Amino acid sequence: MSDKAITILYIDDEEHNLHSFKASFRKQYDITITSSVVEAELIMETKDFCIILADQRMPIMTGVQFFEKIRTKHPKPIRILITGHTDIGAAIDAINKGEVFRFIDKPWDYKYVETAIAHAYEIYKTREDLKMRNIELQKANEELDKFVYSASHDLRAPLMSVLGIVNLALLEEDVKSQNEYLELIRQSVKKLDTFIINIIDYYKNARGVPVVTEISFEELVTEVQATIQYLPEYGNLKMTTDIDQAGVFHSDVMKLRIIFNNLINNAIKFQDKSKPEPFVHLTVKSTPSHARITIADNGSGIKESDLDKIFKMFYRAGATNSGSGIGLYIVHEAISKLGGEISVTSKIGQGSTFEINIPSIAK
Amino acid sequence: MKPLLNFYLIDDSTFDLFIYEKLLIKSGITENVKTFNSAREALKHILSAGTDLPEVIILLDLQMPDMNGFDFIEEYDHLPEYLRDKIRIFMLSSTIDTRDIEKAKASPHIIDLLPKPLEVNFLRKKLSI
Repeated sequence: MSDKAITILYIDDEEHNLHSFKASFRKQYDITITSSVVEAELIMETKDFCIILADQRMPIMTGVQFFEKIRTKHPKPIRILITGHTDIGAAIDAINKGEVFRFIDKPWDYKYVETAIAHAYEIYKTREDLKMRNIELQKANEELDKFVYSASHDLRAPLMSVLGIVNLALLEEDVKSQNEYLELIRQSVKKLDTFIINIIDYYKNARGVPVVTEISFEELVTEVQATIQYLPEYGNLKMTTDIDQAGVFHSDVMKLRIIFNNLINNAIKFQDKSKPEPFVHLTVKSTPSHARITIADNGSGIKESDLDKIFKMFYRAGATNSGSGIGLYIVHEAISKLGGEISVTSKIGQGSTFEINIPSIAK
Repeated sequence: MKPLLNFYLIDDSTFDLFIYEKLLIKSGITENVKTFNSAREALKHILSAGTDLPEVIILLDLQMPDMNGFDFIEEYDHLPEYLRDKIRIFMLSSTIDTRDIEKAKASPHIIDLLPKPLEVNFLRKKLSI
């Protein structure tokens, strides 16, 4: 918007005024001129203007009448009136009826017009920016609303499950089966905790200041592996890695950890236990400028119709065993914040491969 | 004689299916509980049962992936009347969102919205048994 030329429409029945105006300012602004108010209206149908200048004394209608006429249909342009001799009545009309931003006296002075245009454009731009900001805010509010709705469900549901289990356990006279209930409570609490950690990750990711440091992919992967291999749902999954890092790579370690953690956890969660050798294979190939990471598994795979939706917030593809639908959204957000891209290929029943490409961040 | 009640539980949480199946049986309100992990699965079952469908009480979860509770109700609305005549639906949800509550109340197909965790005595009262 800022590098686009300021568009100006100038209407005056005296042709030589139009031409001298255009000659003086054509290098600075994108100028359209016309001697007819009728034609001016037609031009405005096809082109957007930041500023409209009109002469007050014209046949058919005055400048003020023209402004009054177009104001509701074209509220955006800032209006400037050019007058030869101002009487107070015309001035009052101009302000009240035409909502004119400024008067320019004839014969006009180059500097004066330039300043008037600069001020008018400032107002135009401020209004447009405000409008844009409002639209963005509205969108953010809608997202927040959706977030609160889904988050309150995901916070409350596991708690209500625990309460349900407790109610059930209280009915039970057989003390031995209590352990079974405790195990269910453990799982439910774990689910809730995972969600809370995810939410915190999301906020750190969205609001936190990125900290760019030297990355050792070897270290990072070992660290993530250490936190997950004792999970009960790990099963007999076999995780292999192939890390090839040449030279120094700079990035935000916090975001990378979120990415690795979520993707590897998903591979664990969605492993196909019916297969004899469930695996997840992670490769990293990094140069000083770029890193390519792939995470491939032979898990349950993703339906083709879900592939374009899995990175959306709170989208849950699987009907069973699915989480809250926030993990991959956070991964996607983190990767875009790092200036990278993620893609996925998957076949239902066969497995999924996630590929991530991120640039090294210059310090 | 005690009427024999059939319950269908529809919930994406295998946890809650397990809990409420046990709870319903333990409370003595029923001996027949069928569980469905997704609303679509339940719908398929109802359609394929056809005239063999027994009289059932459905406890329907609200927030589920793919087809949620209200989506299910929309599909249910199109079911033939002889099927709908055999079904009574309660929504069973942990929602505290007023829009959800209003929507459930407004639906002609939902008898009531029961909060999770399920209180069997509360359900008994609603069924007047």
